Amino acid sequence: MKKKSFWLISLLLVFSMFLAACNSGNETSGNEKDGDKEEANTGEPVEGGKVTLAVTTAPEGVFEAAYYRSAVDAQILEFTGDEIYQVNDDLEYEPDLATWEISEDKLTYTFKFKEGVKWHNGEELTVEDWQFALETMADPDYDGERFNYVEGIKGAKAKKDGKADSIEGIKVIDDYTIAITFEEMKLNNLENLWSHPMPKKHFEGIAVADLGESEQVRTNPVGLGPFKVKSVKPGEYVELEKFADYYKGEPKLDSVVVKVIDASVANGALQNGEVDIMEVIPNQVEELEKMNHITVEETTGVGYSYIGLRFGHRDQEARTNKDDIDKFKNKDLRHALLYAIDRQAMIDAFLSGKGKVFNTVIPSTFWIAADESELTQYEYNPEKAKELLAGAGYKDVDGDGFVEDPDGEPFSISFGHYAGNATFEGRSQAIIQSWNDIGVKTELATGSLIEFNLYNDMKTEDDEALEAFFGSWSTGSDPDPSGLWANNAEWNFGRWVNEENDKLLNEALSEKAFDKDYRKEVYVEWQKLFNEEIPAIPLWENLDLYGINKRLQGVHINAVGFQTNTHEWYVTE
Amino acid sequence: MLQYSLRRILGMIPLLFLTSIVVFTLAKFMPGDPFGGEIDPSNTNPEYIEEMREKLGYNDPIHIQYIRWVTNFVQGDFGHSTAHKIPVFDLIVDRLPNTIFLAIVSLIITYIFAFAMGMYSGRRPYTWGDNLIAGYNYVGLAIPSFVAGIIAIYFFSFQLGWFPFAGSVEVGLQPGTWDYYISRMHHVLLPALILGLMGTASYTQFLRNDVIENSRKDFVRTARAKGTSESAIYNKHILRNSMIPLITFLGFDIATLIGGAVITETIFTYPGIGLLFLESVDRRDYAVLMTITMLLSFLTLLGNLIADLLYGIVDPRIRLG
Repeated sequence: MKKKSFWLISLLLVFSMFLAACNSGNETSGNEKDGDKEEANTGEPVEGGKVTLAVTTAPEGVFEAAYYRSAVDAQILEFTGDEIYQVNDDLEYEPDLATWEISEDKLTYTFKFKEGVKWHNGEELTVEDWQFALETMADPDYDGERFNYVEGIKGAKAKKDGKADSIEGIKVIDDYTIAITFEEMKLNNLENLWSHPMPKKHFEGIAVADLGESEQVRTNPVGLGPFKVKSVKPGEYVELEKFADYYKGEPKLDSVVVKVIDASVANGALQNGEVDIMEVIPNQVEELEKMNHITVEETTGVGYSYIGLRFGHRDQEARTNKDDIDKFKNKDLRHALLYAIDRQAMIDAFLSGKGKVFNTVIPSTFWIAADESELTQYEYNPEKAKELLAGAGYKDVDGDGFVEDPDGEPFSISFGHYAGNATFEGRSQAIIQSWNDIGVKTELATGSLIEFNLYNDMKTEDDEALEAFFGSWSTGSDPDPSGLWANNAEWNFGRWVNEENDKLLNEALSEKAFDKDYRKEVYVEWQKLFNEEIPAIPLWENLDLYGINKRLQGVHINAVGFQTNTHEWYVTE
Repeated sequence: MLQYSLRRILGMIPLLFLTSIVVFTLAKFMPGDPFGGEIDPSNTNPEYIEEMREKLGYNDPIHIQYIRWVTNFVQGDFGHSTAHKIPVFDLIVDRLPNTIFLAIVSLIITYIFAFAMGMYSGRRPYTWGDNLIAGYNYVGLAIPSFVAGIIAIYFFSFQLGWFPFAGSVEVGLQPGTWDYYISRMHHVLLPALILGLMGTASYTQFLRNDVIENSRKDFVRTARAKGTSESAIYNKHILRNSMIPLITFLGFDIATLIGGAVITETIFTYPGIGLLFLESVDRRDYAVLMTITMLLSFLTLLGNLIADLLYGIVDPRIRLG
């Protein structure tokens, strides 16, 4: 009897635990469902409210702009920080925390800061905070990766090398005025200048070498933005609460939670209302569009995909690219390879239609983007591709169905693609098929999709197997493409070297190009050059996609992202 | 026994040494390093990457890197995480309690179900019920945990709303409060059920066979002869004897406790050692990766030792020496 009652009681305990669990679960989901109904009825903004932003990789927990490395940390910093300038919808730079004047010789910029801007700890923002950021980043002990953002300032290199105690080119005039002198005149000095002030008082007494690991950066960061970090649960979530003294006005939301979820449950989480907003990928879209309470917002972004063609090698010592491979030297061959691919069909099949065919490597959202009418469109035309091949001397001599090169030697392309998303298999096969169809023998490099890290190593080391390779870039808001396509750029993976290329890219950064119209003209010229030469095969620009619950309103989306106006977000429940 | 334990512990040293060579070589053989992978062209400059590689010693010959790592490791310096930029030790200590909690809850679930099913099957072997239990166990063994995890999330979290689908605790609760612990329990249940219910096979079948074997023994016949009730025979005489081999399973479970939930933790975004391990492989975070692998190797060896010691304790006929 005794024993029986013992078992009964323990069973009861176990069940009550389950029930308790079920109950609390029901309550939360019940509330959310109610919320949805109300939203459908009213749609009016409500005071306060909590919003959940989902991310699929965990933050690394480095909440200081000069030190962070992961894209998720960057999203959190967007909530908590603000900059000297901001980027508008056309990706032009506009004053934000400060306005500036440029001196006659275009070397010195004088910045005038807004007064009365408050840090999260109540201190007022002064130019010293910015000076502190710049000095820290030029410090020899600085172990973040963004020295290149202060490199251009006069005397920054000297400080980095330990030859000076402070940067010569920074002059504090008063609490709100500061003058920055650059080493040399460059058009994008401003775009390449570090724009995030650092809370000097907050970091007082911490050596530069220890800064990145300090509590002040990791668990207790201080920023200028509309939200401040309330609690951090590593690997799980970051809780942000509104900063009432935000200088652009008090945020409408009470709090934002940045929550880590597994990508495989993302759609479900959006559906049942536990996640209000997240970046989504094309494969998710079809399912999301069927949900009544979810809108999928799309915008042309700064990301694009292309097929790289290898022209040579990189001399890592000398940091130069040499074009010493002749495989793709023939321009007609390159044109034929582009004509052979039905890019729109690929977008429809592999990106749920969420992409836009383009013919240069400048996404259309940039203000420098050339008008389509000025560019050759290369619409899908396998017949024309075959004609071009024949005209260039690529003919099938031995009758195996594939062309030989003009010297009659066998010709084939080894095409590489990285592994990952489930659509990559089909995508790579589609490209190979297209080229085989016009008689250019193409094989998948290494026989299978290549693990992503290995693939990057192979690209960097100019692996012979990657004669042609799939690539994607997301460029950031600076329109200048020289980091990716200049003759000696590290990330010009095709190693395309062309005299005209560098001439135009440099011209676009010259003194003359301070005139915006002229600068655009030069970039349009560059795009025409790219469009004619086709040194890499432009495929499509990606659309940025966001899944948003309709209870969350006021989100402004542009090519830079979705976080430009977080203080104006509101909920309708 | 003390002597035996000491000898075994000394014997672990060369084993761990060999493991460390394998772990280190495999880690370094992975393509890429923490600075490769996805490059953000507007935020990274090649010179910085080179500088960091030089600074962290990735350009040194591999044996020098190995010696440096081992020397530090032996002295208790597990290195720095390149991604999280904090000492690996802190990172692991931060995640360990979550994993242990999950492991213990799932182990309790396994034990409860395995005992119930094992006893039932052992008592009524080759019946319909026994076959059903065996069928369930092997299905559980065969279904990959990520499939089970996603299905469970779909039904119990999204459709029924009984359990949360991610995390280890509700956002914003203060540690130490009653709600906090309830929420922890609530979050751990679904992953623990997945782990626990899928892992009953070995326990159940082991117990079943042992019960069958014991029920044919003389002491059972004697008990029956003197009129002891069937349930007393099974629950008292047989169970006690059949539990002995099961106890030794506990030793092997120690390593599984920490490392067995890599996939389940990832699906449930449950921030434990498993999730950390997978992330560090993705990010080529060598220090974290190697420390966790070494930790798991050590626990496996330790678990074996404990299992052997337990054998000696529960069954005096086995002499250790």
